[in-house]
Amino acid sequence: MAVATEKSIFFHALEIESPAERAAYIEGACDGDEQLLTAVCALLRENDREENPVDRPVGAAWMSTDLVSDDVGVATTRFFPGAMVGPYKLMERIGEGGFGLVFVAQQQAPVRRRVALKIIKPGMESREVLARFEAERQAIALMDHPNIARVFEAGVTETAQPYFVMELVRGVPLNEFCDHHQLNMSERLKLFVTICHAVQHAHQKGIIHRDLKPSNILVTLQDGQPLAKVIDFGVAKAIGQSLTVKTIYTRFASMVGTPAYMSPEQAAMSTDDVDTRSDIYSLGVLLYEVLTGSTPFAPDRLQSAGFDELRRIIRDEDPPRPSTRLSTLNNELASTVAVNRRLDPATLSSAMKRDLDWIVMKAMDKDRNRRYSTAGAMAEDVSRFLNDQPVEARPPSTWYRFSKFARRNKVGLSTASIVACALLLGTAVSVWQAHTAINERDEKEIALEEARAAEQVANAARLELERFNDRLNSTTVLLASGRANADAQRWSEAYQAYTEATGVLPKYFLVWLERGGLNAKLGRWDAAAADFAKAVEIGCPIEQAELSGVPQLLFFAGESAAYDKLSNELRRVEKDDPMAVTMRGQLVGDVTESAAAELADRVEQMLAAMPNPDDSEPNHESDRRRRKYAEMFYGVNLYVAGWAHLRAGNHQRALQRLQESNQASWFGRGIAHPLLAIAHHRTGNAEDAVGSFEQSQALLDRLLDESVSQSKGSPVIPWIDWIEFLLHHREASIVVKGHTPANDPRMQQMERFADERISG
Amino acid sequence: MSDVTRILHQIEAGDAAAAGELLPLVYAELRRLAGHKMDKEAAGQTLQPTALVHEAYVRLVGDEDVRQWDNRGHFFAAAAEAMRRILIDNARRRQSYKRGGDRERLEIAEVDAIVESADVDELLDLDAALTKLAECEPEMAKLVQLRYFAGLSVEESAKTLGMSPRTVKRNWAFARAWLGRELNLGEGN
Repeated sequence: MAVATEKSIFFHALEIESPAERAAYIEGACDGDEQLLTAVCALLRENDREENPVDRPVGAAWMSTDLVSDDVGVATTRFFPGAMVGPYKLMERIGEGGFGLVFVAQQQAPVRRRVALKIIKPGMESREVLARFEAERQAIALMDHPNIARVFEAGVTETAQPYFVMELVRGVPLNEFCDHHQLNMSERLKLFVTICHAVQHAHQKGIIHRDLKPSNILVTLQDGQPLAKVIDFGVAKAIGQSLTVKTIYTRFASMVGTPAYMSPEQAAMSTDDVDTRSDIYSLGVLLYEVLTGSTPFAPDRLQSAGFDELRRIIRDEDPPRPSTRLSTLNNELASTVAVNRRLDPATLSSAMKRDLDWIVMKAMDKDRNRRYSTAGAMAEDVSRFLNDQPVEARPPSTWYRFSKFARRNKVGLSTASIVACALLLGTAVSVWQAHTAINERDEKEIALEEARAAEQVANAARLELERFNDRLNSTTVLLASGRANADAQRWSEAYQAYTEATGVLPKYFLVWLERGGLNAKLGRWDAAAADFAKAVEIGCPIEQAELSGVPQLLFFAGESAAYDKLSNELRRVEKDDPMAVTMRGQLVGDVTESAAAELADRVEQMLAAMPNPDDSEPNHESDRRRRKYAEMFYGVNLYVAGWAHLRAGNHQRALQRLQESNQASWFGRGIAHPLLAIAHHRTGNAEDAVGSFEQSQALLDRLLDESVSQSKGSPVIPWIDWIEFLLHHREASIVVKGHTPANDPRMQQMERFADERISG
Repeated sequence: MSDVTRILHQIEAGDAAAAGELLPLVYAELRRLAGHKMDKEAAGQTLQPTALVHEAYVRLVGDEDVRQWDNRGHFFAAAAEAMRRILIDNARRRQSYKRGGDRERLEIAEVDAIVESADVDELLDLDAALTKLAECEPEMAKLVQLRYFAGLSVEESAKTLGMSPRTVKRNWAFARAWLGRELNLGEGN
């Protein structure tokens, strides 16, 4: 009988949120029965206790070791210090986990450096992993941020295990660093802000991390300052998706280890549906842990929950707020936490209580639409907290904004409060008092008004910026999708994604640059030129790799304003130009003899610095491949040198270099024929001029016929070579034959083919 | 059709006596599986009972019936019971072995790996508390058995017991608190 009663009281008490009301209810329900009261209170205390013997199914604590470890065990025997993986020599082992092993490795060529080499355990489909990495490679290469460790390349070991080569970071995981160095709250938050910025940078390049956790954020001391580096960008996606196959057990095992940082949508296992906001969630968990020393859901509990239960917890359960977690930690732990953060427990809890709670809970919202839209916005909010400004995460209550404002403007506000009180009283006396107060502190009043106005302007600007951030976010996702589709040769899907991106953020140069690149690749010259012109008009950084061939195309299509602007900018670039991309851009239009001579000099210097590919004897596969690349660079530069000599009026040198370029093996081999024709013509050698022109015509015919027979808009050679070839051929026709070439019907056919590609 | 599938269908059709046949079959299979695993695993490796239960299901019933939750429910109820008996028997033997008896040394090897020796006492205490709970709240004890010994989630347990997930959650909170109180009795708070 007693049990039934304590049960019903217990159930009822659980429904009551407020501790005071709950206590009152229990008192009443027990009606003076001390024994019952003690029993119910004991039940409720047990209910609140985090540890309970039945929380983990029997034996589950050892789960993580048995399904994963033997794979790693096998791997251990194969990879040891001294072993070679591709061109990398393994040195010491620095890590081991469910995914595989991490080594320090020595790279010998092209540069000698130490890198981190991550070998993925067997069982992942290595081709799939590499293909996924390849799809994002361009975007990964674009990431350049002091807080992001670079991922250099991916490869496959002899045993068909994928590996990743990364910048070597000698750091310790974020949470360990914070505790070992006993960083205080504000130091922790500042460090966290830099991590947000790193994530924001990656998101802007279209890369989602998907596996943010302390062990993927390594912190080192640089000049006495902590420096955080996020590792593994682009890696999680590449190895992530193959987790969904296999049986429920192995899948479970694969999930164990990181579920604490996993967003609800990731837990739902719909891997397609993961976007930048999943990373925001993980950032929320990180901040939670940085603040409280524990993850929102106890790792023990997640590890021991059944598979579906685990997913349910992540998807449905609201974790305790960080401040609540701190206050419920038992005393010993709380004081450890406090010592590590150099605060006493009481301060720790109240300092954090409001604003940081909101920031963390907003980032961890189950509904990703309600999370911060960008990592940058989250960083801003944390910075606002550090600067005592109102945080965005908090629902804007007037009093809250006022109280924050008051702390920043203590002097000014004393006037305002007097005014406010006076008006409330509403008597003549108080109006008079207010009047006096205003007169006395007139200047401060004006300053206060200005501060208010400034705050409004700042708020509006921030809102605008955040809207822009939102659009930028969806744009990067669209661009990434465009790239992926283009890589898979799904042209119309790629075109649609790019076109959508141009609609979302038309003032962003990259959307036009990307769509222009696709158009150019397909042979839609006019459309491509229009896109590129737009990008140039908006103003795009000229270091972009996507600019290769753009000046040529603008020139070809008669976009002269954009061409002039771009080539003017290119002329000022002083950077190394191994593929001679900017030099080619300058040579294509009207170039003075002296400018051309200068360019010729530069290419000749580069040629002199390159090892002649004929000199080395290929021994290994890797040597052969390296030699092939070297030959390609060499071939391009021979051609560019010849072209520059020709424009500089140095015809003999031009003839020599152009002929050499026709011997070298590179994609554009043969496009020097029309330039040779011109050079022969200029040296008075009419016969060879006609001969070279005929060779040029033959190459043109071959490329056109091939394209038409394959229903393609452009031939197999890179479009930068193709368009230069067309330009050179036209010029040679005028110089050697005395007329522009007739419109070729095959070109029109190809235009139609190109248009068909994007219409699906 | 396997024996177990046939029995499950009989239970389904209302033959309550068939449930009695299920337990020994599941019990034997679980013991066999555990022993088999131990032959293959290196010494010192541990097995996970809940994984064993799921594996036993796939072996005895097969994959095709996986979506029929009613069937699974009866199976898991039996499996949880079987697993509990196996583990408790094992724990008792080991306890007596610790006290000096080595008579049954050979018999215990197969499931040794499931529970570490340090947890033997805790497991026996929990078993005693659970038996006590079953006296006044049999449904709740059954729920704990499903979740603790077969590793079922709240939803799975709800389906197995024919209750709403909400009720299961409430009951779980109570059973958990009740057991916690029972086991922490000597510790003050």
